[in-house]
Amino acid sequence: MTATASTTTAPAWRRYFGWSTDHKVIGVQYLVTSFFFFLVGGAMAGMIRTQLLAPDSTLVSAEAYNRLTTNHGSVMLFLWILPVLAGLGNYLIPLQIGARDMAFPRLNALSFWLLVPSGLLMLASFFVGAAEAGWTAYVPLSVAGPDGQTLWAISVVLLGTSSMMGSINFVTTIFTMRTAGMTFWRMPLFTWSMLATSILVLTATPVLTAGLVLIAMDRLVGTLFFSVPAGGDPILWQNLFWFYSHPAVYIMVLPAMGAVSEIFPVFSRKPVFGYKMIAFSSLAISLLGLTVWAHHMFTSGMDPRLRVPYMISTMIIAVPTGVKIFSWLATIWGGKLRLDTPMLFALGFISMFLIGGITGVFLAAIPIDLHVHDTYFVVAHLHFVLFGGSVSGAYAALYYWYPKITGRRLDERLGKVHFAANFIGTNLAYLPMFLAGLLGMPRRVVNYDPRFTELNQLASLGAFLLAASVLPFLYNVIVSWVSGPKAGDNPWRAKTLEWKTSSPPPAYNFDTPPVVTEGPYDYGEAAQGSLAPSPSAAGD
Amino acid sequence: MTSHNITHEDEFRAGRELSLDHRKLGMWLFLASEVMFFGGLIGTFLHYKATIPSPESAELDTVLVGINTFVLITSSLMVVLGLDSIRRGSRRGLLTYLGLTALLGVVFLGGQGYEFVSLYGHGIALTSSVFGSSFFTLTGFHGLHVLIGVAWALLTLGKALRGTYSAQDHVGVEAFGLYWHFVDIVWIVLFTIIYLI
Amino acid sequence: MKERTLLVIVLLTVALLAAGFWVAQNVNLMPAEASTRAALVDQLFRAMLGLAAVIFLLVEGLLLYSVLRFRRPRGDEGDAVPVHGNRELEIVWTLIPALIVVVIGFYSFRVLAASEMREADPIVVNVDSRQFSWSFEYPAEGVTSTDLHLPLGRQARFLITSTDVIHSFWVPEFRVKRDATPGQIAELLVTPSRLGTYPVRCAELCGVGHASMGLTSQVFVESEADFQAWLEAQAAFPSDPIAAGRALFGRNGCSACHALADAGAIGIIGPGLDALADPASAHASMHGADLRTYVEQSIVDPSAVVVEGFSDGLMPKDFGTRIPANELAILVDYLIAHK
Repeated sequence: MTATASTTTAPAWRRYFGWSTDHKVIGVQYLVTSFFFFLVGGAMAGMIRTQLLAPDSTLVSAEAYNRLTTNHGSVMLFLWILPVLAGLGNYLIPLQIGARDMAFPRLNALSFWLLVPSGLLMLASFFVGAAEAGWTAYVPLSVAGPDGQTLWAISVVLLGTSSMMGSINFVTTIFTMRTAGMTFWRMPLFTWSMLATSILVLTATPVLTAGLVLIAMDRLVGTLFFSVPAGGDPILWQNLFWFYSHPAVYIMVLPAMGAVSEIFPVFSRKPVFGYKMIAFSSLAISLLGLTVWAHHMFTSGMDPRLRVPYMISTMIIAVPTGVKIFSWLATIWGGKLRLDTPMLFALGFISMFLIGGITGVFLAAIPIDLHVHDTYFVVAHLHFVLFGGSVSGAYAALYYWYPKITGRRLDERLGKVHFAANFIGTNLAYLPMFLAGLLGMPRRVVNYDPRFTELNQLASLGAFLLAASVLPFLYNVIVSWVSGPKAGDNPWRAKTLEWKTSSPPPAYNFDTPPVVTEGPYDYGEAAQGSLAPSPSAAGD
Repeated sequence: MTSHNITHEDEFRAGRELSLDHRKLGMWLFLASEVMFFGGLIGTFLHYKATIPSPESAELDTVLVGINTFVLITSSLMVVLGLDSIRRGSRRGLLTYLGLTALLGVVFLGGQGYEFVSLYGHGIALTSSVFGSSFFTLTGFHGLHVLIGVAWALLTLGKALRGTYSAQDHVGVEAFGLYWHFVDIVWIVLFTIIYLI
Repeated sequence: MKERTLLVIVLLTVALLAAGFWVAQNVNLMPAEASTRAALVDQLFRAMLGLAAVIFLLVEGLLLYSVLRFRRPRGDEGDAVPVHGNRELEIVWTLIPALIVVVIGFYSFRVLAASEMREADPIVVNVDSRQFSWSFEYPAEGVTSTDLHLPLGRQARFLITSTDVIHSFWVPEFRVKRDATPGQIAELLVTPSRLGTYPVRCAELCGVGHASMGLTSQVFVESEADFQAWLEAQAAFPSDPIAAGRALFGRNGCSACHALADAGAIGIIGPGLDALADPASAHASMHGADLRTYVEQSIVDPSAVVVEGFSDGLMPKDFGTRIPANELAILVDYLIAHK
């Protein structure tokens, strides 16, 4: 074991507000900024669920409602989930592979700072008539929409660019900067998941960019790409959009899966079961994820024969996903489980993502999809995978790595309160929606048939509970950062490299470059060549 | 103060083991994303080519643009020769060939401009039809990439003048070369689908 | 493997499968089945639900069991017995899900093929969607209506399109929807199998009236005789001018956006129209003898005068060409004099 470095304090808080090329500062900037947008998106959700408490409520006008649903989705996806996971990747990848920073530190800073104009544009759109065509922006509706739709398009292009820059950094760093002894098969699973995610970001995001450029040009310059009288084809937009937006959901879940893969071995004191299969399954999900996009278009009138291959490829993704779930179960089976908050959220991830994943297979079955497409069944499915899945995983990661980032411990009791409210709130909010969709409630409706009233009221109750659940988390994070107990280098007694340095890490992460001689999850083995200091450490 | 005793080479040790220079890997990844961006625009063009009749295509000047294509391909050859020069330590060769690359790039842009103006004269514009929209958007974005390439060529030339590159270290030139070849290859695809088939 | 463990596994498997079967037989989450394809879809859905129940109980059960059984004993800070993998187990839990996926995929394909088989002599209905109403045209019978009437047991061949943005024609009791895309015609085959009245819902966000598109249309599945009677009634034009005006109001989809008590309309996207027929209203005093002209202009040129509080650009601008002049006159008369 390397002798721990002297405890270092986090960079002066001012550094977090300016241009820094230190991946740890950038990582925190990502995390805090994206959490702000989580709250913004959540506030919009609160308004939506309040409106839906009654079937014929006039609290919110139809126009305002369409803007709320559009921007709730867009903010949550583009300004919360994507950047918070990128922020975790940013903070952790160099530490996990024993590098001192990313391959391109200045590009890294730029990729964070692009978030700022992106977010500002999306917020500013409300002043000129916010986008109201859904986060899916189907044409021709979006081409004719208010000015905010253009700002929305530019905002998403900026976010996509930020995302791509980040992934160029992640892939290059992982391939070229692993420390001595860190073979690919000794890389932590979180880093593996970021690699799989980056393949999708680089392949799929540019296609969305192209599509957004076409919409922007139709709106600003008068091109005829989506002008039906001129021969424009609305289905073209759907293909360009979903080619990105389906892989996007894997971009949003793979890193969360990587995080829980890190947490299970540590809190079971057992190696990961099937490490290689979990790594391979991330790659499989990534590659398969590029082949399924038209399952969002089964009702579009697309050539009926083309639908079946997409159904097949979509169902196949259940297999590597199942491999992960079973491997995680086998990891905790026979372990010595510590039910601290990171572990609770990781367990919650499995239980809720399972529901999301199973209902995804229902949606893949074309005859069922023809009934439930664009209904609350889909809204329930997507929230189980994205909220029950990605957000739970993000929370698990934040609780797990908070001590490393800040040098302080979070309060466990508040964490458990947060977990309980989150778990109950998520199930209460979204389970009724499955039923509403099956029984006939479409998506994106400001009012609904009174027969769906009780289901909507239950869902709104769950949503308000979720809103409240954020409070103990926020309080915990802020107060602990200032006055929480000191964490020490390795409060969880984990074995991945980030825990071999101080909390928080020094400027260049490691006093001497680590040399790796064992896997990242070798619990229960007699300590045989664990981390040794670099033989060439000849002093400063 | 804690110092880090990793030299620059040690940092990228893993890359060297895989024979990957991080700057070139970064460029390859960037170009992969650019391929997908053009893929979206090319897909759009092809979709409409297949579904909407476009009498405007008769006005396309295949001979002129064919020559222009040859100009661009030659400029790629100039890049190859320039890289070969600096590998042999010839700074002068690099300067000459970079200059020629930029020059040929400008000639290409001029040729494209001429084609655009000529089409406009026939009433084919960005907003006149779906064909006009997809043609000008696709070739326009390509032209923009050529323009950026020309600027980059001149920047590289400026660095070469200041002696930045040597026979041992000229990764910046290689990175530029990758970009320029990419722009050329995209054009060959564009020329084929727009003018030839 | 120990006999006792084997016995436990067998018993649990049987219990899980029994639970799955029970769910598949008894849990009904769908609305009424009103088409032949609905029956097929529901069978598939229930089968998948049973399977989902098995998987759900298995995984959540293992999770819960692990959390309870494998909690760290108090004071035990040591590591657990390391197990890195088990090739046989990993193969099993890869192959079995793959097999399940193949079976479900195949079954789904069969249901899809059966749902979309063409039957002889379908009744053709053109479904025209616009912001924010449906219009059902029966080309062979020469009838157009905002309500969809269908004869029981005869396949309906819908040809679906839109005149503005993408909508989606959905009847939940039929278990199928198809998008209405401008510039394209999408075919949908449905054979109604149950008498009754069912809602039509728009399932693709189409603007401010998306949620209210269903207010103006319903599906009536009726006997062949009743259907023919309806067709005849539609073709005949009421001689009574008020009834005729009311019929035109309905046929042209006005109730999608306007309120008019006489016609039972409650639309809120455009101004309410009750006041037009009230001699004491502001309209009468504002326009006096020109009220007729004003109402006609409001129909054929909606942008000329936009009432405060409502948006321009929502009302279709082609009523002038869509409604024949004599019918327009009847409609206007109805609006100002129906009381």
